[in-house]
Amino acid sequence: MSVEVSCPGCGAPIAFKTGSSIVVVCAFCNSVVARGDRKLEDLGKIADLVETGSPLDIGLHGAYQGVPFELTGRAQLGHQAGGVWDEWYAAFQNGAWGWLAEAQGRFYLTFEQSLPEQTLIPPFDALQPGSAVAALPTSVPLTVAETGVATQLGAKGEIPYKLIPGEEYEYADLSGSHGMFATFDYSETPTRVFVGREVSLGDIGLANAMAPEREARRVAGRQLNCTQCGGPLELRAPDQSLRVTCPNCGALLDVSQGRLEFMQALQPPKTPPIIPIGSVGEFEGVKLMVIGFVVRSVEFDGVRYYWEEFLLYNPQVGFRWLVRSDDNWNYVQSVPPGDVFHKSGAFGGKGDTVQFQGESFKIYQDTMARCEYVIGEFYWKVTVGEQVRAIDYVRPPRMLSLEISMVQLGVEQATDSATSKKSKKVRSAPTGEINWSLGTFLKHAEVEKAFGIKGIPRTSKIAPNQLFPHKKIYKIWGLLLLVTFVLGMIFLATGSRTKVFDQTYALQPVANSEGTQVIFSEPFQLKGRQNIRITANSNVDNSWLYIEGDLIEESTGDVQSFSMPVEYYHGVDDGESWSEGSQTPATHISAMPAGQYTLRLEAQWEKWQQPASVSVRIDQGVPRVLHVFLTLLFISIIPFFVMIAHFSFEKRRWSDSDYSPFGS
Amino acid sequence: MLTKFYLVLSLLIIGGYAFVAFTGKEFGDPERQRVPADVRQSPGGYRSFHFWHSGYRGGK
Repeated sequence: MSVEVSCPGCGAPIAFKTGSSIVVVCAFCNSVVARGDRKLEDLGKIADLVETGSPLDIGLHGAYQGVPFELTGRAQLGHQAGGVWDEWYAAFQNGAWGWLAEAQGRFYLTFEQSLPEQTLIPPFDALQPGSAVAALPTSVPLTVAETGVATQLGAKGEIPYKLIPGEEYEYADLSGSHGMFATFDYSETPTRVFVGREVSLGDIGLANAMAPEREARRVAGRQLNCTQCGGPLELRAPDQSLRVTCPNCGALLDVSQGRLEFMQALQPPKTPPIIPIGSVGEFEGVKLMVIGFVVRSVEFDGVRYYWEEFLLYNPQVGFRWLVRSDDNWNYVQSVPPGDVFHKSGAFGGKGDTVQFQGESFKIYQDTMARCEYVIGEFYWKVTVGEQVRAIDYVRPPRMLSLEISMVQLGVEQATDSATSKKSKKVRSAPTGEINWSLGTFLKHAEVEKAFGIKGIPRTSKIAPNQLFPHKKIYKIWGLLLLVTFVLGMIFLATGSRTKVFDQTYALQPVANSEGTQVIFSEPFQLKGRQNIRITANSNVDNSWLYIEGDLIEESTGDVQSFSMPVEYYHGVDDGESWSEGSQTPATHISAMPAGQYTLRLEAQWEKWQQPASVSVRIDQGVPRVLHVFLTLLFISIIPFFVMIAHFSFEKRRWSDSDYSPFGS
Repeated sequence: MLTKFYLVLSLLIIGGYAFVAFTGKEFGDPERQRVPADVRQSPGGYRSFHFWHSGYRGGK
């Protein structure tokens, strides 16, 4: 039921249209008017809203999960880092209020939760961005994504709480998987808790909502003139951009207020971006335009290392990044903090890991990254010289990067104790905001294909998340070892091992040491397709007996020769006994055609003056374990060299890391 | 590329092993010879033939 009253500030009529609203902002004098039990209270004047190009407006009707609502009010809150965000207040038909936060083109709809008294919400100072908060009875664990101080800057319409102009309060945003979102509002005691999720405008029945000025900016792009040089410049993402550089004079301009405002004159880059601003590339089936280019750097041992980041934009999917570092490329997109799990929230340190989509990522680097140069337009308030703490975690071919926003506290002189060299060191502290992004390694050919270009520089340097190209070979190797083993077992189990001949011969003394005795056996049958094992046995003792044999096929005259020394020596040397040779050697020959065979033996022996004896046995279908081992060996040669190459690859991958598992 | 090459080569090796095991093939056999037909048809047959051996191989 609407209640009309007069503004205590200017006397103009104002109306509390929603029964449960607490304050109304006078449309005439911007007084924030609260209704108490008995009288109206003027909470002071609040500033006009800054134009942010929001698609929403007071009076719009939507619905969430089937319950209709109306947007009745809007507050604009200042971020400690300098930006603003909007909060819209949705009065639902069932009497509930929804808080619809809008920041960087994203929307989060939350509802205040009444928690049991014993619920322990962590105090503001105890919150660590990235750490999990277990206090809330939500379906998924929530992680602190940002902590900060908000300032009430502007407001309009009807608002469901006592908004005091200029008031500052501490807050924390929490994020969970599947878009889960929550806010702790420390402006009151006990802490107010809002829980909900990230929504699209379609989710809340406002898909067609589009403030006229935003629509015009989005569709037409925007032609502007630089405030420094007067030259023309174009905004390619006019409804999202907060900063733009002039392509003519290089000035960095603020565009957040809907008009250009000079901020900083930038030095031109040493080399222009390898992919020019305005180029369009296709990734994952989506065409993305390069709208910004950033050069960033880190310092190690006094040496500064640079890399390049290309900001890509498509109105349907938002922003992506293409990162070029040491001529290696990554395709990068942001990840909700709640999707990344860290055991403590105290990021960094040797052996640190994070979990993402069921996979563990190892820490690779933890550095302070500095923005060196920018061209184009950006959706955040970029400044040259700004620093973030950047921690990279890798699991090739992916890399999770955590950026912890830092605020500069001052500059101090530092002296290197070893060299006595003085340098300036920037002191900074976390702002309480973290951002996660997921990079996927790209081959050079993929980048070239995406942009339809050729000849981007190659490198032999291994990227932190570059996949070892021959890793698949291990799986194949394992499979082939198994196949060989099983095959070997089958042949070993099914070998016939048939004895086809066994005879002992007495040898008479011969005339001299060169003399031999020739013996022909009785004919015997050999089967085809079965190998032949010939075993000799002679009771030689520190002596030898030598056999030259022939298997003669009776009908064709085919002859397969073989030779077999039977020698066995033993003794004691320096108190240690030794032996070599065997009294029962064996030799294998290939299968012969099936048929009747005679064995010819020609024997010669060391003690030719004395008689000797020799036994000969022939078996067929004898499984060969040696062949199984040889096969296993041959199929392992290439994987062995691949393993060596892999080890070298991993060493090179980690050579630039402070957290190398191979040591420094 | 290497993976495909390895897969093909390994399958050939395993196939070779299976062939050897199935056919009873051994490696390092001396060359197979044939006793000439006239020798086989002569009195005494191959029993009178001087085979292709080079003599003594043993000893220490």
